[in-house]
Amino acid sequence: MSTRASNDDRISLLQGTLDLLILKSLVFGPCHGQGIARTIQRQSEDVFLVEHGSLYVALQRLEEKKWIRAKWGLSENNRKARFYSLTHQGREQLAEKAAQWRRLTRAVGLIVDAGPAAQAEEA
Amino acid sequence: MFKQKRSAEDFAEELQAHIQLEVDELRLEGMSEEEARRQARRKFGSVRREQEHFYMQGRWGWLDKCLRDLKHAFRSLLASPAFTITAVVTLALGVGANTAVFSVMHTVLLRTLPVKDADRLVYLWTTPPPHGTGTVNKNETFSYPVYDALRNQNGGMEAVMAYVPLSGSKVGVRIGAQPEEAEGDMVSGDFFSGLGVSLQRGRGFTAGDEKDHAPLAVISNDYWTRRFSRDPDVLGTTLYVNGVGLTIVGVAARGFEGLEAGRSTDFWIPLQSRPELNAWGNPLDEGKTYMANPTWWCLRLIGRLRPGVTKAQAVAQLQPVFQAAAYTGLGTPSPGDKKPVLNLVDAKGFPSYGEEYGRPLRLLMGLVGLVLLIALTNVAMLLMARNATRQREFSMKLALGAGRGDFLRQLLTESLLLVTAGGLLAWLFAIYATRALGAWAQIESSLAPDGAVLRFTAAVLAVAVVLFGAVPLRTALAGGPSLAIKTSAVVSGADTGKTRMGRVFVVLQMTVCVVLLVAAGLLIRTLRDLENTPLGFSTDGLVVFGVKPQIHSPEQGREFYCNLTAKLQQLPGVESVGVMMWRIGSWSSNNNEMLVDGKLPDVPSGGSRTVRTNVVGPGFFRTLEVPMLAGREFADSDTVSSRHVGIINEEFARRFLPGQNPLGHVIDTERRNFPITIVGVVKNHKYRSIDEEPIPMAWYEYAQIPVIGRMDVEMRVHGEPLAILPAARKVVQQMDPDLPLIQPMTQRAQYDLTISSQVLFARLAGFFGLLAVVLVAAGLYGALAYRVSRRTAEIGIRMAMGARRGQVVWMILKDSLVLTAIGVAAGVPSAMLVGRALASSLYGVTPLDGTSYALAVAGVVCVALAASALPASRAAAVEPLTALRTE
Repeated sequence: MSTRASNDDRISLLQGTLDLLILKSLVFGPCHGQGIARTIQRQSEDVFLVEHGSLYVALQRLEEKKWIRAKWGLSENNRKARFYSLTHQGREQLAEKAAQWRRLTRAVGLIVDAGPAAQAEEA
Repeated sequence: MFKQKRSAEDFAEELQAHIQLEVDELRLEGMSEEEARRQARRKFGSVRREQEHFYMQGRWGWLDKCLRDLKHAFRSLLASPAFTITAVVTLALGVGANTAVFSVMHTVLLRTLPVKDADRLVYLWTTPPPHGTGTVNKNETFSYPVYDALRNQNGGMEAVMAYVPLSGSKVGVRIGAQPEEAEGDMVSGDFFSGLGVSLQRGRGFTAGDEKDHAPLAVISNDYWTRRFSRDPDVLGTTLYVNGVGLTIVGVAARGFEGLEAGRSTDFWIPLQSRPELNAWGNPLDEGKTYMANPTWWCLRLIGRLRPGVTKAQAVAQLQPVFQAAAYTGLGTPSPGDKKPVLNLVDAKGFPSYGEEYGRPLRLLMGLVGLVLLIALTNVAMLLMARNATRQREFSMKLALGAGRGDFLRQLLTESLLLVTAGGLLAWLFAIYATRALGAWAQIESSLAPDGAVLRFTAAVLAVAVVLFGAVPLRTALAGGPSLAIKTSAVVSGADTGKTRMGRVFVVLQMTVCVVLLVAAGLLIRTLRDLENTPLGFSTDGLVVFGVKPQIHSPEQGREFYCNLTAKLQQLPGVESVGVMMWRIGSWSSNNNEMLVDGKLPDVPSGGSRTVRTNVVGPGFFRTLEVPMLAGREFADSDTVSSRHVGIINEEFARRFLPGQNPLGHVIDTERRNFPITIVGVVKNHKYRSIDEEPIPMAWYEYAQIPVIGRMDVEMRVHGEPLAILPAARKVVQQMDPDLPLIQPMTQRAQYDLTISSQVLFARLAGFFGLLAVVLVAAGLYGALAYRVSRRTAEIGIRMAMGARRGQVVWMILKDSLVLTAIGVAAGVPSAMLVGRALASSLYGVTPLDGTSYALAVAGVVCVALAASALPASRAAAVEPLTALRTE
């Protein structure tokens, strides 16, 4: 996979953002670790390449906070896998974190996109 | 959270599932099975690291890690027991000796009095008091009128308290039927309240108690424990001191042992005014107790400053009061007289005691520091050598992915373990050594390694941990992971950086060893000289004890001692008996300037007119076997009504009556009380202590002096001197059942006490010298043996190339001899500096005593040769082929 996007295009995740991405990718139903990694990579158009180390640490952390729960199940191709799903608490957290994120990006956007420098760059 | 919710296996399974899913997907994208598996694994990275990560997420991960480090360290230390034992014992000796000496030093010099706000307490000291006064200590004691004036000034001092012992040593006490001895002080009424010492039972004294001279006593916690087994009903018990009944009304707080330096006071009583309880146990002077006698400066004073008042301000206020009071009973000062000057000294510890023992103790501390230095470098060297041989183990670990942090932790754990073991052993050693040191130094106040000493030791140990942890790490990391690949012993032994450091350590140790040996040599020779100093008479068969009978008149006293001497003389085995007022060999003396034929004798400028006097009975010189050079000894025919006679020593005659026949001259003290006619001259002999220089002396006859109280009895007996004591005790108790024998001992033992601090000092220095030699020998042997083992291959090659065994041995020996030469070259000048610092403690040897230096150098060379011999012979025994095959 890493061959598809050159290193330069990738952006390291902001602190705490991974939690949001994981929660979001579970909105459409339970998923296993590898599926979550894939989803994040695909939906970000290969900008985010999730490091597995931090992914599993994050999953562990979210599970401990009871935002997600896990149980063993079978994947589409009949492989045994550990499936994660959102808890009620997790959904609330997702809504809150998403709102926070929007506020943040809007604020950053307001600054970055305003003014002559941005105009010039677009031109 | 306190337990792992998921098992490690479960997590591992999840990771495997992840990789499997990835493989499936890659295969769907068209990769071959094998390619997909490889790709998936690569992408995932280290599975093991993730698992470790998971494992470490549990909160107790770090503890687990530490336990593992500890187990590992244990195992690796157990694997090399010789190294471990050497390191631990070395540490224990070095640190333990340090702790012990520090404990004693702390007690003597640094420990504050166990009182409230010790910062505001000050001792009152003075410059020498006016002419015509007698003192106990010319800087530290005051007369009662001076005390009375100072305490009533109400200025910068909140309180001025007085205290004075009831005896120069112990005082006779009776609680039940049996007489015994104890140490007691008379104190002012505000003593306990002013010092801020609380009472754990009963009450202290009041101003009223002092004014009424109330017959009360407060006992110390220690005395309560020792004598009364902590009996809760002790209050109300009657304590007979010199026959005077005193009621115990209180027990002082635990830890307060009085203000007598190096001694622990058993009981305190309010200031008294009766002949049985005169200050210092002295007989009345012209019928006056210390209270009525303004010319006897005998009280020690301690004061409490008001908050916010400095010592200078307080002194400024007290000075005029003091200087006026100082001349009470002496008339107006003559114009040329220097007035005494009061000064205040922090009362945090025992300053005068510090003077006597402080310097030797500080020097001792220096010696111990050197031993500690040797011990620490030894252990560092041992660790360096050990870890250099473990270099391949380290390189292997580095190559296998151990981080530098892991290394540091592992090495630190090993050091910690070593140091902990060494520290525990050191603590045990320190407890015994402190006790031994206290006994040797005759410091009777409680001595134990206390909290501050613990902190001090801990600091030394912490330094040791960092040092020993860091030194090998440098070596280990210098190797780098690539070293694991190299297998040649020649290659791994080739880098010279560490060996250079090792050489520096060896030279440093040699230097320190020379210094210690010279110091030990100088002190031990001093001791030998002191012990062999002729006293001027033979102490064989001499035994001495004190008695303090209840005497109300000089006649009664004369009768008592006459009787006692006669009875003792009749005991079987007794050759001769004499009595004396000041026990010889006990530092006590009475110093005066004396008139010869009515005027002060002319002495060359700068010369001293001081004469030491003593009061003795008939037969005193015969008992001591001090030869009479002229005239006669005191006899029973010298009575109060006959001509008053005296005896002088040859130094008196030489200095004050040069070229004349001293017999028939009349001498007298400045106060012109008791003129005596010289009837005899005795040979010079030691009076106060072994190391005193000859000084003019004069003796009075006790029957002719109206001052009579405690006396010491000197007996010369056949056979074992102490065996006569039970019989003597029986004689004394037949005369008065209340009388104990005070401090009975052989006269030799009494003189030996006067050099006890030198003896202690010399013994300790000798001990440290020996310790240093042992440590240096062990260190040198370890270092050389290690170097030879590293050069096995090189030696093999040399021998294969035709080197003879003799050459190999010489090569090894030369190596250590060069180091020794450098060490000696550096050590001798350093030792000279130390010798200069020791000069004041030496007796009979100069600081540049050649023998001591020669012996020290010879000692170090012997140690070096002995420590090199074994490695050298091992080197010579190397079989060239075997050595090369170990490659």
